Amino acid sequence: MPEPLLALEAVTLLAPEGRVVFRDLDWTLARGARFHAMGGSGGGCTALLRLCAGIAEPHAGRVVLDGAPLEPGVPHRFLRRGHLGWVPSDGGLAVNLSLLENVALPLRFAQNLGRIEAERSALAWLEQAGLGPWANQRPSVPGGPENWVASLARAAAKASRLWLVDRPAGGLDAASIQAAERILGQAAQDPEVTILLVGGAWMSALGRELSIGEGRVYSGGEP
Amino acid sequence: MPERLASGLGAKVRRAFGQLGSFSWLLGRCLQAMLRLSREQRRVVLEVTRIQIRFTALDALPLTFFTALLLGGITLLQVFGQLSGFGVERHISQILAQLVIRELGPLMVGILVISRSGTAMATEMAGRKLSGELAALYASGVDPVPYLLVPRLLGGVISVFSLVIVFDTVALLGGFLVAWLRLPVSFGFFLGALGEAIGRRELTATFCKCLVFGAAIPLICTGYGLRVKHSPTEIPQAVTKASVVSLAVLLLAGAILSVLIYA
Repeated sequence: MPEPLLALEAVTLLAPEGRVVFRDLDWTLARGARFHAMGGSGGGCTALLRLCAGIAEPHAGRVVLDGAPLEPGVPHRFLRRGHLGWVPSDGGLAVNLSLLENVALPLRFAQNLGRIEAERSALAWLEQAGLGPWANQRPSVPGGPENWVASLARAAAKASRLWLVDRPAGGLDAASIQAAERILGQAAQDPEVTILLVGGAWMSALGRELSIGEGRVYSGGEP
Repeated sequence: MPERLASGLGAKVRRAFGQLGSFSWLLGRCLQAMLRLSREQRRVVLEVTRIQIRFTALDALPLTFFTALLLGGITLLQVFGQLSGFGVERHISQILAQLVIRELGPLMVGILVISRSGTAMATEMAGRKLSGELAALYASGVDPVPYLLVPRLLGGVISVFSLVIVFDTVALLGGFLVAWLRLPVSFGFFLGALGEAIGRRELTATFCKCLVFGAAIPLICTGYGLRVKHSPTEIPQAVTKASVVSLAVLLLAGAILSVLIYA
């Protein structure tokens, strides 16, 4: 059996107010798997994404990504190389950089591309996302949904191997949905790419259903 | 009662050592990150460092100039007023040089940098952490230590060093202006006396203080900014702690260095 890309081993996660989000959760994500997570508000969908990205630290157990555990304060090899496409609900863009610089930064920092090359690639992806006119604006100008799409463009530009995509904070217009489908569809063409999405109905075609609730994760009906 | 006092004191000492440990860890991570930068990462870090120097040093020049000019003049006026009966006029430039270069210059610049840039760094880091921007950077392959902390550390050291040179020069000129108004001293005589007063020890003290203050302020302020966890109401608390602790460290480190170098 091939080694999974990501494994949660006996993970317990508590919410800040002390509520149990996951208890002793064992769950794996195979390489090339595509899942679309469903769950009620506060059910743990975003928490699962944050655990997988190494942003939320489990209170017990561990998260193993690409064969190495995620440890607090220790930069993980997989993340350092820019293989993770993290798309939080607000886009998670740096507010003091333009959209172009935001998309180009990981290319320069994690993948060592020169500035000109990185910005050329970033602009191509932003144009594909329909954000060409906003490229030189800071995230405060275009607004939340566009920032979320720009974050998708950032993940695409660095050819992420694992996509963790949270639902966008605001409603997306038809053009943004189309752009997001286009970017995610292109990523899904690579059989090596693993995708875990949380979000609206329009995303459901992009992966198998994953149900999250009562501290468990059910993929295709099986915990 | 004494036991409670002692245990309370013990807790404070433990906490102080704990904080010292966490700032040392942060410094270690910064130094480690600096050594591991790739060529393109180095370019990015230099770009951010340049911006930091603009905010910390260049934008602070008018305030530094104004403070130094006034302080140099007032210091000389006070020294002159108190000691003019003892025939110290001939040593006025030595006294001024030693006061400004040894103590006042680095200390005042440190205070200016804490109040302008240290508080800004703490607020910025806290805001970025609460908004999830730091987490997003980390997850996207941009380690916040080399990308955000190293430029602030380098920018802090370079800025404090540059501002101290500006401050000392302007304060000495301010002192000369006052002396020139009150005494028959020429600029050549003043400069000559300054040259005699400034020795290797003064330069060593200035260099050491710039290095320590310039590194400590960004480390402490970003460190406190990064400690916020859940709510924006933690930001003002973090900023207050950052500036108070930075100031205490500045005074303590300045005193220790002065004792080590001059005692």
